[in-house]
Amino acid sequence: MHFFRTGHDIQGQQVLTGISWDLAWVALALGAAVILGHSLWRLLRQGRDQRKS
Amino acid sequence: MTVPADSIPARPARPVRDDSFLRHARTDRLFHWFTAACVLTLMATGLLPHMGLKFDGTPVHWMAGLGLTALVMFHLVRSFFWKKVRTIWITRGELKGKHLGKYSVAQKGMHHALALLVFTSVCTGLVMLNRIGIPLLARNPGLLSLHTWGLVYVVHGLAAVSAVTLVMIHIYFGLIPENRMYLKAMISGRMSRADQRKRLMAFLKR
Repeated sequence: MHFFRTGHDIQGQQVLTGISWDLAWVALALGAAVILGHSLWRLLRQGRDQRKS
Repeated sequence: MTVPADSIPARPARPVRDDSFLRHARTDRLFHWFTAACVLTLMATGLLPHMGLKFDGTPVHWMAGLGLTALVMFHLVRSFFWKKVRTIWITRGELKGKHLGKYSVAQKGMHHALALLVFTSVCTGLVMLNRIGIPLLARNPGLLSLHTWGLVYVVHGLAAVSAVTLVMIHIYFGLIPENRMYLKAMISGRMSRADQRKRLMAFLKR
């Protein structure tokens, strides 16, 4: 996976052109992971609270 | 025929006072939802064309960007001149869990993180308008060197993709049942005293 997109200027030197679009998928996956992790934690906590009461 | 005074049904007086209080003024709610619409539009038009959905999102993207710029300016002016800016800072008491203000530390943290990302995207986006050219602003790609343009695009992109993660988390936490009161308050403006008590009890239980 690349982090950046690059191109070349008229002298043939490599220049940055932006971030890699793969990072958009990484951002989505990260958001989904946090949501999933918190949902699991909520479920576990609810189960523990129910057992206590 | 006379009717004894005590048998006359009492006139329905003023409506019973709603057991709720105003949490968000209409202006703040409108700002929130317009900002949300702009940010979601910007994400869709900026990222989806590069994630498999082929369409030219550029015109809508810069228009939504200018809309977001206006909203950010409005919010900054309103916050600095009509509201107390210091109330949005996270205090030491809040960090130690001794004080609960209108917003929790997590809510303030989300605001600051999103504010930073939106502000960065807006600033870089305004510079990027010179690259595409819009009505009333002629295209001027020679404004910056290729290397500097690259950096501007990288910063804009990083802010945008980071905002995707944060917006997902923001929406999720707005929808979970224990935070539903905040969502209701952001729609109707009001929060019930019962919800406020629930909020306080959750804080004390921590």
